[in-house]
Order: sequence, then C-alpha cells, then structure tokens
Amino acid sequence: MAHRFALALLAAAAPATLLAFCIGTGPGVWVAALAGGAVFPAALIALGAARDGRLGSLRWPLLFLGLFLAAGLLAAIGWSNGGPDVLGLPAATAIMIFVLIPVPLLLLGGIFAATFDRWFLRPEDLYRVRVAKRPDERLGNGEEG
Amino acid sequence: MPILDRPVIIISALLYLAVCGALGVWSLRRTRNARDFWIAGQGLGVFVTGLATMAAAFSGFVFLGGPGLTYRIGLSSLFINLSIGFTPALLAWVVAKRLRLLAEVREVYTIPDAVLARYGSRSASGAAAVAILVGTIGYLGAQLLALGTLIEAVLGLRSSLGDWSLAAAVAAGLAVLLFYAVAGGMIAGVYTDVFQGALMVLAAVAVFVYAMAAGGGWGAVVHSIAESERFGRQFLEPLGKTPALTALGFFFVFGIGVLGQPHMLHKFLMIRDPRRLKWLPLILGSSQVLCLLIWLGIGLAVPALVAQGKLPPLGKPDDAAPVFLLGFVPEPLAGFAVVAILSAIMSTADSFMSLGAAVFVRDLPRAFGRRVENELLWGRIATVAVTIAAAVLALLYNDLIALLGTFSFGTFGAALVPALAVGLNWKRVTAAAATASIATGTALNLVLEFLARQTFFPSLPKPPLPPGALPTAVSLAASFTVLFAVTAWTGRRAPALPEDIRAVMEA
Repeated sequence: MAHRFALALLAAAAPATLLAFCIGTGPGVWVAALAGGAVFPAALIALGAARDGRLGSLRWPLLFLGLFLAAGLLAAIGWSNGGPDVLGLPAATAIMIFVLIPVPLLLLGGIFAATFDRWFLRPEDLYRVRVAKRPDERLGNGEEG
Repeated sequence: MPILDRPVIIISALLYLAVCGALGVWSLRRTRNARDFWIAGQGLGVFVTGLATMAAAFSGFVFLGGPGLTYRIGLSSLFINLSIGFTPALLAWVVAKRLRLLAEVREVYTIPDAVLARYGSRSASGAAAVAILVGTIGYLGAQLLALGTLIEAVLGLRSSLGDWSLAAAVAAGLAVLLFYAVAGGMIAGVYTDVFQGALMVLAAVAVFVYAMAAGGGWGAVVHSIAESERFGRQFLEPLGKTPALTALGFFFVFGIGVLGQPHMLHKFLMIRDPRRLKWLPLILGSSQVLCLLIWLGIGLAVPALVAQGKLPPLGKPDDAAPVFLLGFVPEPLAGFAVVAILSAIMSTADSFMSLGAAVFVRDLPRAFGRRVENELLWGRIATVAVTIAAAVLALLYNDLIALLGTFSFGTFGAALVPALAVGLNWKRVTAAAATASIATGTALNLVLEFLARQTFFPSLPKPPLPPGALPTAVSLAASFTVLFAVTAWTGRRAPALPEDIRAVMEA
C-alpha cells in the first residue's frame, strides 16, 4: 500500500514539477516547492524503504520529512525579507542553516541505523539473495543480457 | 603575495603529491585483477566508503566556486547544499542497498553493469554508458583544467613558461593522477580519496574557524554584512537576488540528481559487506556537512571583510577563497587549505578517470554483446587514453569543456536517476521505459543547457523556459515523466525477472 502510494505520488509529482518549471510564475513556484522539493524526496525514500509494500513505523518519520521540507521551503521562499533576525540572520535563513540541514541529517541517519537490522536488510534477506545467485555467477563467469 | 613566495604552501603541495604517489605504489601490489581495478576488490569498510564517496562528490567547486558564488549572489547559494540533510539517507535507502545486492549476485562493476543486470537490456545499459561518457568528458576536463590552474599558481609557472604554463601544469598534475590511478586502479583511487577526504574535512573546519575569527566572530560577520551598502541584509536573505524558481531548481537538481551520480554510486559497489551500509548516511552526511563549512565560512567572511574595509572589493567573485587564504590565514593553514583544494579536485578526477575507462573497456563492449579479454591491462591503457584525451580536449576547447563541466552533474541526474531510483525499487519498470528515460534525460539536458549557456553561435535561440528556470531541473522532471509514461504504456504486467534479480528487488 505504501509502495503504491509512493509511486502514485511520484507519478503525479513528476509532470507537476515539469509543468511548474516550464510555467515558472505564480503557482508554478509553489508547485515546484511542494512537488519537487518535498514530495520527491519523501516519496523516493518511501519507495526504497517499503517492505512487501508496507512502511511500518517508518511512515511517520517520512510523513514528517515531507511536511518538514514543505514547511522549510515555503518559509524560505514565502517569508517576506526572510522574517525577523535570529542569530543575526533572517529567520528563514537561520532555519535553512540550523534546522533544514542538521535535523534531517541526524533524524534520517539515526532512523536508518536504528531500523537497518530489523527492517532494511535482515540477515535472512541477504541469505535469500545469496541463495538466488546463479550457478554460473557462483563460478565467477556469469554473462547476462 | 604570489603563492610562489610562500615556501610552506609549495612544500605542502609537493608533500601531498608525494603521498598520493606512494599510495599508488602501495596499491599496485594489491591490484591483481579486473575486480580489484574497477571496484577495489569489493573490500571496503563503511568508513572508507563514506569518506571516499564524499571526496568523490565534492570537487574543487565546493572549495573555490562555492565561496565565490556566495560572494556573488549571497546566501541563496546555500540552496545548492540545502538538500545535504536528507541526501545521504536518500542514497542509502533508494539505491545503495539494491546496487550492492546486484553486485552480490552478478558481476556488477559499473553503473551500466547494474542497468544491464536489472533490465537485461543492452540498449538501456548502452544508453547509460553514453550518458556517463558525455558527463565524464565535461567533469574530468573541468577538473583537469582546475588542477592545472591551481598547480600553475602554486608553482608560479606563468612567469617562467608563459603561454605553455597551463599545459605544463596540467601535465604535472596528470603525471601524479595517472601514476596512482593506472597503477592501483580503484584501490588507489579509493584510498587516496580517503586521505584526500580527511584533508578536506580538517582544512574546512580549520578555515571556518579562522574565517569567523578574521571577521570578528559570527555576530560581527553577519552584522557588518547586513549593515553595509554594498551587500546589505538582502545578502543574508534566503533568496536574496536569486529568483525563487532558480533556488528551487538548485534544491531539486542537487537533492534528487544525487541519485544518478556515477562517481558516488560506484563506491557502493565496493563495500565488503552490504550490512555495513547501516552507518553510511551518518558518516557520509557528517563529513559533507563539515566540508561545507568552508563554503559558508569564506562565503560570509570575505564580504564581511570587504564591508569592514579590511579587504578591497573583489574584481572576480571566484577570487574569494584564494584572496582569503593568502591574506588572512597563517601560512601553514594556507598550505593545508591549498592541499585540500588539490585533494578535492583530484579525488573527483580519479573517480571519473576510472568511470571513463570503464565505458570503453566494459560498458560499451557489453552493450554490443562483446567482452574485452584482460580487462586489467586494457583498463589501465584506457585510463591513460581517456585522461589524456580529456586533458587535450580541455586545453584545446577549454571554454566548451568548462561549459560541459558546469552541467555534467545535471546530465547524470537527468539521465540516470529515474531508471535507477524508481527502476531498482519497482519491478514494473520496463527496459523500454528505462532506455527512453535515459535517452530523454541525456539529450534534453544537453540541448537545453547548451542553448541556455552557449555563446559560440549567436544565431541559436535560447531554450523556451521562463526566467530563472534551470534547464537541468526541467530535464530531470521530464526524464521521470517519460519513465512513468512509458512504463504505463509498456508495463501493464511486471516484466518477468530472473530469480536472482527478483530476490535483490524483494530484499
């Protein structure tokens, strides 16, 4: 279900982003921000992280990522003059530097490591892949295509 | 003061080149077959893979072009790096595991090999090889030109060699690069990348600290910029003078296009045990963030110093990093930073030397149903040939090669991302869809970027895009659209996949 939903999002986001960059003005900018800037990264991660079509507990962090990126980008492009000063910088710039970069880096990196063994690549997955290796490849002389 | 008058800088650069050469000698004995030559014997740990990926990804642009771009357009330049928060995890989740598992079941040494294994289509892998060749010519040529320019400045060759100085400097850099890349293949490439990556991180952090100190601390730096007439608060705003569409285009191209960069993806094939990918996002991401401190540090310090009257306004924005390093940091650190810039250039260049050679020795022959005997020998010969050809092209047509270099990242992204990112995670994507997407991304990006930037043929029209739209963003979105459209057209049922490929995609 999550896999299909991610594909549907990507299939909709691709032409929307194309159109947004080709139109440029007005709603084009907002569509580019939402589709190209928020939907694409979150949906691609969902596509890669889904197991048997499901995301399990990963759906919440990925939903958060999409909303977080959308909010951050909309603040960056929509906040007049970047907002009030924070740490000497316009608030939107401060959000870019001190929030939009480190938060996903630590959050996603941490979640990836924490869920790796039980969700992303289990020992039995690796075993199944190795068993499926073709006999000619086991001998090191495989040829495909 | 010319760099030539700074002996510490020259000695640092010569020492660095000597260490790279020594790593080449060390790797020579460990390179016994094609697997060693192309994928470092598939024996890397995750730390080495992470640092080597970062070093390959970050070219001299991060150290020289980034601060210059910031001086020119303000902090809106950060939209290029803004995606760095999620790209390491994106890479790991979307492509790293599948690529590494493909290398577990098939003889996958290159990205076109992976395309061939996934789709069983020589057209798709051939199209990927052509895209990689086109991007490699631009990327490698641009790196070799940058390497020559830096060596020319460090050794002060212009005064003694005149018009031949750039060619001589490129040749000197090439000699070291070729020595270690030919002798040790990717084993040398990866371990020099690790050495170079470590230098890049350390230098970036140290320069950032000095940059802030030179401007009087963070508060004084941003305050003096905001208060100055020349820069003003607009310099610090997220968009500044940059159109929103351009900023979002940067974010989209660098955030999603990263999934198609062969010099990064190639490293994932080399990791010893797929289960070590666990720590890759944190290692890759933290090293990238630390490296980017130099972009932010010099990018803010130089305008602050200009605003404070400690530095005259720059004639050329790209002088920001050299002017700061030569004028405001102690000589040993300047030497260290010059070495880090050399590292950034060479670590990217050596990756492309290998990728370019593989196109001729492995990817294109396999696309035509042929195999080259003795890939190790021919790989070494092709590395020399490809590198010298790129250098000659770069010296003869430096404007054209520099132009190609500026949009090679986008070419890789537009050509390869949909077929890899979606195709490795969705069984219904057909070979026809992958081939169409790769061909569309490559051709559209080349045509649009060339028309947008070229000045060689004044009669040619500009691409029909709105102001601020990045041609690469359009090409990348179009490539995705084509993949989905052709899959919908040709892939009503999931294509029958071989059992091993199915196992990889279901893992």
